[in-house]
Amino acid sequence: MQLILRVKFTKESYLKYISHLDTMRFFQRMFRMADIPIAYSEGFNPHPKFSIASALSLGISSEGEYMDIELEKSIPVETFIDNMNGVLPDNVRILDGKYTDDDSSISSLIKWGYYNIQFEIDNEKMTQEKLEEIMKAFLSEENIVIKKEKRKRKKIIEREVNIKPQIGNVILKGIYNNIVKLNVLLKTGDSGNLKPTDFLKGLVEYTSLIIIDDSIKIHRIDLYTEEQNRIVSPL
Amino acid sequence: MIDLDIFERVLNRVEKPARYIGMEQNMIKKDLDKIDVKFAFAFPDIYDVGMSHLGLHILYNLINEREDCCCERVFAPWVDMEKEMRKENIPLFTLENKEPIKNFDFVGFTLQYEMSYTNIINMLDLGNIPIYSKDRTEDDPIILGGGPCVYNPEPLADIFDMFVIGEGEEVLYEIFNEYIACKKSNSSKDEFLERVSWIEGVYVPKFYDVNYNEDGTIKSMLPNVDGIPQKVKKRIMSDLDKSYYQEKMLVPYIEIVHSRIGLEIFRGCTRGCRFCQAGMIYRPVREKSTETLLKLSEKLVESTGYDDISLISLSSCDYSNLEVLIKELINKYSDKRIGVSLPSLRLDSFTKDVIQEIEKVRKTGLTFAPEAGSQRLRDVINKGVTEEDLVRTVTYAFQEGWSRVKLYFMIGLPTETDEDVLGIKELGYKVKDIFFSIPKEERKGNFTVTVSASCFVPKPFTPFQWVGQNSIEEFNRKIDLLKDNIRDRKVIFNYHNPKLSYLEAVLARGDRKVCEALVTAWESGCKFDGWSDLFDYEKWMEAFHKLDIDPDFYAARERSLDEVFPWDFIEAGVSKEYLKREYEKAKKEELTRDCRLGCTGCGVNKNFSGGVCN
Repeated sequence: MQLILRVKFTKESYLKYISHLDTMRFFQRMFRMADIPIAYSEGFNPHPKFSIASALSLGISSEGEYMDIELEKSIPVETFIDNMNGVLPDNVRILDGKYTDDDSSISSLIKWGYYNIQFEIDNEKMTQEKLEEIMKAFLSEENIVIKKEKRKRKKIIEREVNIKPQIGNVILKGIYNNIVKLNVLLKTGDSGNLKPTDFLKGLVEYTSLIIIDDSIKIHRIDLYTEEQNRIVSPL
Repeated sequence: MIDLDIFERVLNRVEKPARYIGMEQNMIKKDLDKIDVKFAFAFPDIYDVGMSHLGLHILYNLINEREDCCCERVFAPWVDMEKEMRKENIPLFTLENKEPIKNFDFVGFTLQYEMSYTNIINMLDLGNIPIYSKDRTEDDPIILGGGPCVYNPEPLADIFDMFVIGEGEEVLYEIFNEYIACKKSNSSKDEFLERVSWIEGVYVPKFYDVNYNEDGTIKSMLPNVDGIPQKVKKRIMSDLDKSYYQEKMLVPYIEIVHSRIGLEIFRGCTRGCRFCQAGMIYRPVREKSTETLLKLSEKLVESTGYDDISLISLSSCDYSNLEVLIKELINKYSDKRIGVSLPSLRLDSFTKDVIQEIEKVRKTGLTFAPEAGSQRLRDVINKGVTEEDLVRTVTYAFQEGWSRVKLYFMIGLPTETDEDVLGIKELGYKVKDIFFSIPKEERKGNFTVTVSASCFVPKPFTPFQWVGQNSIEEFNRKIDLLKDNIRDRKVIFNYHNPKLSYLEAVLARGDRKVCEALVTAWESGCKFDGWSDLFDYEKWMEAFHKLDIDPDFYAARERSLDEVFPWDFIEAGVSKEYLKREYEKAKKEELTRDCRLGCTGCGVNKNFSGGVCN
């Protein structure tokens, strides 16, 4: 019987600039510091067994990350949370956790990601009403086709993708001083993945909005799985 | 503090933004308004390199121990970040409080290699601090230098206000105390500098005048302020068990050059290799006791979470209690899957016991430095190892399952002939033959031997400080000789850029006249000279040409034994007589024994106490 602990954690502030690979190394050190009895793989170069649900792109903060950790022996969930939070920096916190007997991995469970996106626009005299119209028109497009680049060995291959089916609910939170705030639900995970930056690419392509690139701030609010066509927490 | 909104926008435009955010585990951030001495520790290279440097971790924690002082870090921004900072008018700032370095009391640069000098100038400029010390005002920070390159600080004499020669642990506190006293009495910067120039180990270049002979060599160097010491004596910690050692280390979020615990096991080296500056200037050898090291390792493991403890020194196999230390460390940490590694191994002191212990956790690559290809030349440089040592060691290593070996050599060593150069090839081939002489079923892995040749740079305070460096053409000829002769896919030949080593030689033995060339080269765009893809040799040559400075005077010239050197005012411990004696012995291919086996009269025990000399 495998002991899998599934936990939810945050990664905020400047720590959003830590890459996925560096985050993995970071957690390895943290498990060691917190004395977590994590299981190791067999073989020539054993590594600790844990996996993060969905790799967060560099520059995106989050308050809803998940990972599965395989333990060698059982410890109370509270002990895990307390010990980890005792060594973790303020901007990474373990929020919750439970043992799971789920056969499927956390990464295969994730279907949706909910994001808060904020950016500055260079359009003059933009109002809330105008913006609402723009968003409405954008979301009623039948197809939203963007160019995606894919690196294959040394070549960069461009292909066109219709991202419309990967866009869920979009809520305009408001506009103030030309700073736009949106909440968007996007397909996330192994079975279809839309990056928030690609969503913005579509927005720029299909509307008159001029987005100032380096003003974009993206924050992941949570990740979800699906159960009987309903969106639910993976925990 | 810099504008954080602009800063964050900039972070979105540069590669590896985590280099600039700080916030690492064990970072110390204080309220700058409540601090008497604000010290910015400046490493003139990128974060990834600077954070791997052990001295930074020691001094960072040492200075921060004091409540009235703070130490914050600053590194050279990579070229993309520099461009953005200049565009957005972000002045160079520290990682902790994101405070411009101009607002600090001290900016202390560590001089680890000569090829970082243009980065120092660039960092001052990015910090809006005038480059020449004479152009700075009472409002500018005091620019201080330390590290191995200060054993010839003269090429930087016009830039720095002061240098600390030797080990910094004690002397920094003494300097800070004077600074606080001066601040209280409203003394000027010059008054402060005069007061600290009395402290042992402190050198204030502007209080010394240099007179030259007609041929450009130095006639004399004398203090121009009454009573200031004529010679500056280096500082050392006499007892490493009692001296400060940090129990915590900053742990970067990103992968850096060395992501591991650096456990310093001793300082100094008794081997007496004649090319090696570190082996001379860090004398005498002082070991930390095994007990202290075990205690420290415990604290460091607890505070970092690293899975690798690297035993650091100039020649770690020489630690007198090495086997016990390694066994104890492995016993203590193998359950936690923490390994122990040795950064370099000597061919003659590589013992099976040590390697078997290390192997218990994981297998690392094997690197050896025979330094020269022939026994004759190894005797000239007093590198005690023999071909038998190499044969014995690699035979054992291959039997134990290793298959990749790296061998480090130098070309251009004094008295070198083509036969010596080709000896490098012979050793590489020999290692290959040893591997394939092992029965096929016992061999493991995919064999390669990497043979790496660097170009010899004569350094101050070594027996070869009088030697003229090979010309670039001569280096290239020797490299071609090896390239033409090494024709085996299993033997990989690497070499360093001779142009870079030539410039390193100019800066290593340069005098005050070289300073202007440094600034001129920087003005024409030179920086990150140690990065071969950014190094621009032509620009450097233009700078020398413009100022009518002959770089060959510094690099290629064979000095006479009675010449006064720019660095002669420093008392490094080893006497000039000893160095001369060693130079003469080198020419006669005579060996000098390891001084653990009996004093070889280098002179360090006359002026300094501590370690094996007692």
